[in-house]
Amino acid sequence: MSEITKLSYCIETQDLTKKYPVIKGYGGLFTHLFRKKEIAALQNVSIRIKRGELFGLLGSNGAGKTTLIKILCTLVLPTSGTAWMNGLDVTKDQKKIRKLIGYVVGDERSFYWRLTGRQNLTFFAKLNNVPRHDAQARIESLLSFMELQYDADRMFKDYSTGMKQKLAIARGLLTEPEIIFMDEPTNGMDPVSAQKFRKLIKEKLVKTEKKTVIFATHNLHEAEELCDRIAIIHKGEVKTAGLIGEIKREFHSGKGYVIELKGPVTGFLEKIPYITSARKVTIIPDNSFSDTTQIEVEIKDGDNDIFPIVKEIADLGGKICSFYEKEISLGELFSMVIGRK
Amino acid sequence: MALFIEKPLAFVWKDLINEVSYKFAFFMQVCGILVTTVTFFYLSKLLGEVGTSYLKPYGGDYFSFVLIGVAFFNYLKVSMDSLSASIREGQMVGTLEALLVTQTEIPTIILSSSLYSFIFASFKVAVYLILGAFFFGVDMGNANIMGAFLILLLTIVSFSSIGIISASFVMVLKKGNPVNWLFTNVSGILGGLYYPVSVLPKWLQKLSAMLPVTYSLEGMRLALLKGSSLNALLPNIAALTAFSAVMLPLSVLIFGYAVRRAKIDGTLTQY
Ligand SMILES: Nc1ncnc2c1ncn2[C@@H]1O[C@H](COP(=O)(O)OP(=O)(O)O)[C@@H](O)[C@H]1O
Ligand SMILES: [Mg+2]
Repeated sequence: MSEITKLSYCIETQDLTKKYPVIKGYGGLFTHLFRKKEIAALQNVSIRIKRGELFGLLGSNGAGKTTLIKILCTLVLPTSGTAWMNGLDVTKDQKKIRKLIGYVVGDERSFYWRLTGRQNLTFFAKLNNVPRHDAQARIESLLSFMELQYDADRMFKDYSTGMKQKLAIARGLLTEPEIIFMDEPTNGMDPVSAQKFRKLIKEKLVKTEKKTVIFATHNLHEAEELCDRIAIIHKGEVKTAGLIGEIKREFHSGKGYVIELKGPVTGFLEKIPYITSARKVTIIPDNSFSDTTQIEVEIKDGDNDIFPIVKEIADLGGKICSFYEKEISLGELFSMVIGRK
Repeated sequence: MALFIEKPLAFVWKDLINEVSYKFAFFMQVCGILVTTVTFFYLSKLLGEVGTSYLKPYGGDYFSFVLIGVAFFNYLKVSMDSLSASIREGQMVGTLEALLVTQTEIPTIILSSSLYSFIFASFKVAVYLILGAFFFGVDMGNANIMGAFLILLLTIVSFSSIGIISASFVMVLKKGNPVNWLFTNVSGILGGLYYPVSVLPKWLQKLSAMLPVTYSLEGMRLALLKGSSLNALLPNIAALTAFSAVMLPLSVLIFGYAVRRAKIDGTLTQY
């Protein structure tokens, strides 16, 4: 890896692999000496994240998102492979990296419950070497940035989930870091707060403050709403990465169309099994009272356009009034991506 | 220098706020001290002159003997337990992770986390001694304060090294270790906490002589109750120094290994 590529990305990992030992009890510790049992939490993960990007790590529970974030935050050492942040090696320059990053711990348990929000921030500011004369002002501005100024002197234990998460972000921003990691921060929030929270991340952190944000989530809609680029992780492997739109196109390049038919169609529908130019034709159940019927067709592999199908349908007596490319949902995409060998 | 103590102070400040929020628990602790003191006071009345021959080296009074023992055993326990307890709590509760991503090194985090326990132990010891001296007639009139402090310092270092080793186990294994529990109890039985070692059978006395706690408690009693000179305290000082000289470097080594191991196994963090 040359110096130049190391620096052109904000974060870059190469074949990052993490295996956790499985040890149960003191007995397990003993048997572990002879027969190692391991869980592969990450396997050969190579991703690149640009400066100023809102990058999503999308994967179901146990996919390895948290492990990846923890490695990048120097909390866990990788088994093999390397990762750089701003050209710094995560296993060698741990101290410098901790100056660079803010880690928004999703777990509300990571605060002191009997201290107020402000007291919690003050404590963590000290541990982060924020100079005493700056700390006060910075804490105040973070509290109002996160709209917590009126609740700053309440004990953390009395905060709502949303407030707890906001305080976690405020803590992550104490050092004015360039790179911010968020691990499922909307967990446990109601949909409305989660929505507001995402807006805040996108508008304030990324657009206004120009931070690089790495956002782990298992929520497809959240990823779609929030992120520019995503990596889909499954069982420790990155299945695909890139712009969401591009991934969709890659997996579904014009293969599905919706065709709208007009008028009485019963006669035509019986002929559907005889259509030969399409791979698959399905009738979309219709519960509106319109006089059109929608069918979905899939193009055969290798074919490029829909016109042969359109022609065949017309020949069979279907009255086509419109057709358009079908947009797949991220959910469908997700199952296609993780199903891919 | 300012920064050097600023972080430990931040931990103490945080722990103090936390502790004060449980006003009742604090009150109970002070009550506990009073109860223990009164109990031993009347127990020693009951014993009267019975044990005087065994207690002679310490001035002959059982109440004074046991009060010093019980008071200073607090330091031993804190030295041994507080490090691993703070790690264990951080692992279970999830605060450790948040501390570890800060720009503070692990040794500072862990040592500072146990600082409050030491301060609180000192407070308890002070309450014991003040109660003893002013209300229950314990005579520390010609105490060797210098000697007492030296013994205290060596005790804290010796037992902290056991504490560091036990913290290392907790960090890697993610569970409380039985070694501490065993050590505390054996120390209580064989170290002369409630009775002088000389009442034990000869073979048990040999075991006592191998435990650092024996030298700590004896040294402390001699210094405070008899005002023994540094010269007279030399056997105790030497034993504790030797123990520290071996155990402290060893414990630091083990701790360093444990931190690395924990980052590999992922046991430092919430999971
Ligand atoms: N500290 C750990 N020790 C052992 N196994 C772990 C540890 N952390 C995570 N794992 C395992 O590694 C896999 C990935 O977990 P994780 O990174 O937490 O996934 P995610 O955050 O995507 O849910 C899971 O199978 C999990 O059980
Ligand atoms: Mg996770």
